[in-house]
Amino acid sequence: MSEHESTSLVKTLRPFHIWALGVGIVLVGEYMGWNFTVAKGGILGSMLAMLVAGTMYVAISLCASELGSSTKLAGGPYDWARLFIGPGAAASVGLAVYMEYIALEAADAIVVAFIAQSIFPELQVFPVTLLVIALLTFINYRGVVAALTLNFFLTMIAFIAIVAFFFATAFGTVNIHPEYLFQGALPNGMIGLFAALQFGPWFYLGIEGAAMCAEECKHPSRAVPLGQQAGMITLLIGAAMTLYLCAVLIPTDLLGVSVYPLFEAAQNSEVFIFIALLGLGTFLTCVASANGCVCDSSRSWFALSRDKYVSSWFSAVHPRYNTPYRAVIFTMPVAIGFAFSGFLDQVITFSIISGLLCYVLIPFSLIRFRNLFPETTSKVRPFVGPLQPYIAYFAIAIAITILSTLFWGYKYNLIFAFVFYGIAYFYFSHRHRSSNAENNWAEMGWPLPRGSENARIGKEAMSVGDE
Amino acid sequence: METSNQAMESKYYSKLNGDTGLIIGMLLLLVGVEGFVLYKVLSETWEISGNFFYLYIIFVGLVIGIETVGCLSVRQSIKNHMFEFKYYD
Repeated sequence: MSEHESTSLVKTLRPFHIWALGVGIVLVGEYMGWNFTVAKGGILGSMLAMLVAGTMYVAISLCASELGSSTKLAGGPYDWARLFIGPGAAASVGLAVYMEYIALEAADAIVVAFIAQSIFPELQVFPVTLLVIALLTFINYRGVVAALTLNFFLTMIAFIAIVAFFFATAFGTVNIHPEYLFQGALPNGMIGLFAALQFGPWFYLGIEGAAMCAEECKHPSRAVPLGQQAGMITLLIGAAMTLYLCAVLIPTDLLGVSVYPLFEAAQNSEVFIFIALLGLGTFLTCVASANGCVCDSSRSWFALSRDKYVSSWFSAVHPRYNTPYRAVIFTMPVAIGFAFSGFLDQVITFSIISGLLCYVLIPFSLIRFRNLFPETTSKVRPFVGPLQPYIAYFAIAIAITILSTLFWGYKYNLIFAFVFYGIAYFYFSHRHRSSNAENNWAEMGWPLPRGSENARIGKEAMSVGDE
Repeated sequence: METSNQAMESKYYSKLNGDTGLIIGMLLLLVGVEGFVLYKVLSETWEISGNFFYLYIIFVGLVIGIETVGCLSVRQSIKNHMFEFKYYD
């Protein structure tokens, strides 16, 4: 790799870009997918899943805000696990983040193609999916600011569509059916409340990715916490509005199997402006989500490559656009492979399991970070998250509970994911045990972690003993 | 020199107030929307949800409580470091 290719990433992003990245990836989950909670647990099961998953994500977004604003690195969860847990966990998380986002990108691109085909029946799904993936890869290749500014506008339009529809419904402009709430309250009994939890993450899946552009922020210690928390509140509001709108406009048995529930709710309202707005919103959230996924998956691959977990060829930074262009371009063949594997539902489930693995390891990274660096100086920890480490432990407990509910219906996906990440963990732990140099804390401007002095003295004593 | 420092300080506090206003506005919207949806759904389904409504109250309390404390910490962090890291230049 030539010297000029190793320049650093450009630092231009602001809090609204972080908001756009986080919400842009996730908002699609409020336009579709979340309604499987209704099929499992009815309206009451869905509402509990929304609140339980919401509690977990609020805690995780606070952990990610603290870790992101402290480390200021592009790899996000991968870099946090590498610095504070170890190489095996780092590689597993890096791969999990990569798989989570790239599978989501593939799913989004296919939905965009299906929507385009429903508007223009002469179009074919295959070439449109290819075109969407290629176009978004090109935008991300050209520059992160352009990509995330585009995301900001797409996401804002889609969110405003939900807000406008909600207030119109709440103030009586739209005819609603409150009886649907009771009819579909709890169709599968109390077990449905528990079973619905497995699809609860759909409301917020991927918000932790907002912290993955910390290395490209102008002021990461302000942009990451502010953008991430604003994003989290946006999603909580959007989730509650979406659930209410769909629950009072679509009968529960249809809502549980709907492909585009918000759009269907708008169609049932029979108000043209909302049908147009929510149809546009469905399309734009898919584009915004796929766009954010290209950005996040490429950063995860770039970080893995920079630390030589995968070929260092991918860690080159474009001399003109300051983007990790090889990692960005590499998302394209992988996303196309996922998109045309023919097992999209399996791919999406794999994405959720990968996400849940991250939700166990992100709070654990924070607990380790606080143990290793208890000091709260501006250099080490410019943003100090509240109620830690209690909410980190609480988030881990909820993530494991949700993971366990996947055993009902997705047993083989769960076993496959555990085997895949288990192999990755042991392979990379073994490979990097001998070659991995100790983290260079001084380069980050940090002091030595707590206990490192004792470890160093211990090593020296052992080497003297060996002699 | 003193005037320019005062102008900068005034600009910084005005921008901080902007960030604070944004956070408070969003938190108020969150409380309003969550409260409205919770009330509507629980009141319509009270015959069924009356047995376990406390689960919803606990989790909605956790979501709003943790998020509010989190947002206050974000504001405090920005206030503490805004001059040191030149956030608003």
